[in-house]
Amino acid sequence: MAKSNNTNVKRRLPPCRSACPARVNVQGYVALLQRGKFNDAVELIRKDMPFPAICGRVCFSPCEDACARTNVDQAVAIRALKRLVADVEHETGRVKSKSIPKKHKEKVAVIGAGPAGLTAAYELAKLGYPVTVFERMSELGGMMRYCIPDFRLEKFVVANEIAHIKDLGVNIKTGVEFGKDITIESLHKDGYKAVFLAIGTQLGMKLNVPGEDLEGVINAVDFLRAMALGEHVDVRERVAVVGGGNSAIDAARMAKKLGAKDVMILYRRSREEMPALPHEIAEAERDGVKINLLVAPKQIIGQNGKVKAIECLRMRLGEPDESGRRRPVPITFSEHQYEVDTVIPALGQVAEMSCVPKEMLEKEARAPQLHVDSATLETNMPGVFAGGDVATGPASIIEAVGAGKKAAVSIHLYLAGKDLRSGREDVEETTWVKNWGHIAKKERRYESPAEKPRLSFEEAKDYLEKTEEKAMFEAFRCLGCGPCAECLADLELCEADKAVVDEAACIGCNVCAVVCPFGAIKKNEEEIAQVNEDVCKGCGICAARCPEQAITMKKLPNEKIMSLALVALKE
Amino acid sequence: MGNNEPKTVCFMCNFVFCREEMEAPPNVNPVRVMCIGRIDPVVVLDTLANGADGVMLVGCQPPDCHYLEGNVQAERAVKMLKKLVTLAGLESERIRLQWVSPLEEKSFYSYAQEFTEEVEKLGVSPLKGEKLQPELVTNVLAAKNAASDFRLRVLLGREKELTEGVNVYGEKLSAEDFDFLLDEIVREEFIRHKIHLLTKVKPLSVKGLAEAVGMKPAAVLRQIVDMRRRNMVALDHVDGTTPFYKALEVK
Repeated sequence: MAKSNNTNVKRRLPPCRSACPARVNVQGYVALLQRGKFNDAVELIRKDMPFPAICGRVCFSPCEDACARTNVDQAVAIRALKRLVADVEHETGRVKSKSIPKKHKEKVAVIGAGPAGLTAAYELAKLGYPVTVFERMSELGGMMRYCIPDFRLEKFVVANEIAHIKDLGVNIKTGVEFGKDITIESLHKDGYKAVFLAIGTQLGMKLNVPGEDLEGVINAVDFLRAMALGEHVDVRERVAVVGGGNSAIDAARMAKKLGAKDVMILYRRSREEMPALPHEIAEAERDGVKINLLVAPKQIIGQNGKVKAIECLRMRLGEPDESGRRRPVPITFSEHQYEVDTVIPALGQVAEMSCVPKEMLEKEARAPQLHVDSATLETNMPGVFAGGDVATGPASIIEAVGAGKKAAVSIHLYLAGKDLRSGREDVEETTWVKNWGHIAKKERRYESPAEKPRLSFEEAKDYLEKTEEKAMFEAFRCLGCGPCAECLADLELCEADKAVVDEAACIGCNVCAVVCPFGAIKKNEEEIAQVNEDVCKGCGICAARCPEQAITMKKLPNEKIMSLALVALKE
Repeated sequence: MGNNEPKTVCFMCNFVFCREEMEAPPNVNPVRVMCIGRIDPVVVLDTLANGADGVMLVGCQPPDCHYLEGNVQAERAVKMLKKLVTLAGLESERIRLQWVSPLEEKSFYSYAQEFTEEVEKLGVSPLKGEKLQPELVTNVLAAKNAASDFRLRVLLGREKELTEGVNVYGEKLSAEDFDFLLDEIVREEFIRHKIHLLTKVKPLSVKGLAEAVGMKPAAVLRQIVDMRRRNMVALDHVDGTTPFYKALEVK
């Protein structure tokens, strides 16, 4: 393959967008919100990823952690705004998108209809490939459908988002199990030219303590999945959930909602180290879940084959381990027991690798692990790509979406016979603010409502107006770190303007290259200025400086500024 | 609105914080551009020539700029513009570059009002109304042509390189030296373009030109020599022993 690493496009993006694994144009939709364009905002999010409503509810929002506003007061409530635009769209009804014509002949198979698989299918369908998604379960959505409980992410929300993907003309086959009904060979035989393996991590990790086989021990993943399938699980009166992640919180809240009297979470580190989102922990405590920190189970004690109690050890925090968190160290002779009826281990998940061909696995790994190139998501089988949780271990929805997008780019390049490493984007963070002192503090005013209020028709209209107003205020807290968000706002200025060089008039003096803040304009070998449209942000400084006036702007040439000035004079 | 109230145009950076419903004082009309560095000096002079009493350029307070140094570019342009306008015989206060903190909501209104009041004190633009002074019109046109001329624009575009870097001989130009240089080149370019405009109407001798531009004949002759080299003027005819020059078409 041709060597190239230098062809990568370098882009300067605002912190929120560069922090997002799916590179969602945050500044763009916040800018649209400032102008009250809710529907345009949600369409802009869909350009980058297919799940605005889902991420608006459950994303861990790395964008907010990166937000430059944290230097002044508090990050912009990006997730809440995203949820709002998606909800407004849901309330007002979305125009059904048209099926995209198939430009390419090569069939692509996606295995697993979780966030990674669906995103890859969505992106490939947009590129014009015939895509088929294979799913083992009867409903689509993977962990979003089966493991996030209804009170955090409603089932209809997941169904809606997937309906939009189906509208694009993605073929979907449910009830097909990989390794049993289909294999890589059978897919190749059926004419699929590329396969994306996104089967996720389905098995709950075990506690590895005596007494795990007793009746009344149920893994969090199995517990939540059973609830999503509508099966009956009797949690009885006292429940202990072991673990500190979001699944642990979800399982604990679910058990509480099922009617358990005492629900406690046992976590072996302290609160700061808990991987669950802080506001989820707060919600759980509001629901009445107790959180016991610095305890780890030693054994589960049974009586007549059923759980009777859980014996734990006290822990203290030692030196930080490789994940950067402080390692818990057991304190000797600190055994104590909690009387419980149900134990729910929620220690994370591992991938079910028995369905994957052996030659695709890493040979020297302790646990079965897929052999995947992290930059291109290639496996060691040509034409087979893998991404999402199955490749990285359990992560988040937005990371899976990022992996799906990456896989779609790789598959597109692979099917075109191009180098998989070229043509990818390099990202550099940029913020225009250099002086934080002069920025006025404005506290956050908008948060997603925990529960929707029940309102009459008149009240609802009023409520919506107030909410939109608050959301617009929140959107105005955005500092707009990137220069132009290319947000499609229907304003003449905000449409991304681009510089155009009149090549006959260019004399190669290089003034444009000197004044361009983004290095978007350079001379070529023939001493004629060339604009890189991907990098050009449309400021027009080059047009204002070109000695031969050979550069004009597409949207806002000098003549237009002049005519606007004349109009302003006449008014 | 009465005739005596000043009319000003305000070019404004798109990123200066201001909401859609932001009010501007009644005689200030904002024109939004992507960056205040986008404003071509020619546009400002053209606006003045079209009868604006004042032009305000509103940009983000340095060091903050969405285009990293667009506001610095605007500052350079305005520095040159003020010199040109003064040469043309207008008050340089008619052009103002105003920094506004990009996140302040209130300040724009008060700055705009302040500017309007200042322009009101200067009076109505002499480029407006029936009693136009033909010399002033020529002057402003000469300034506009000078601003669209290669020499001034290159100088403006390369200011950063010249003052912050060193040239091939390892020499560095201080800001004062550059200002001196800019002064000289602005004056020269203005005079040349004025001569060009005057000779466009009818062929003129050096003596006639010297009277028209108020300079010594020797100084005018030096410009004529330069202009002939740059194909701006050519010899038209010789009357007795006095050569007359006429303007050539400049692309």
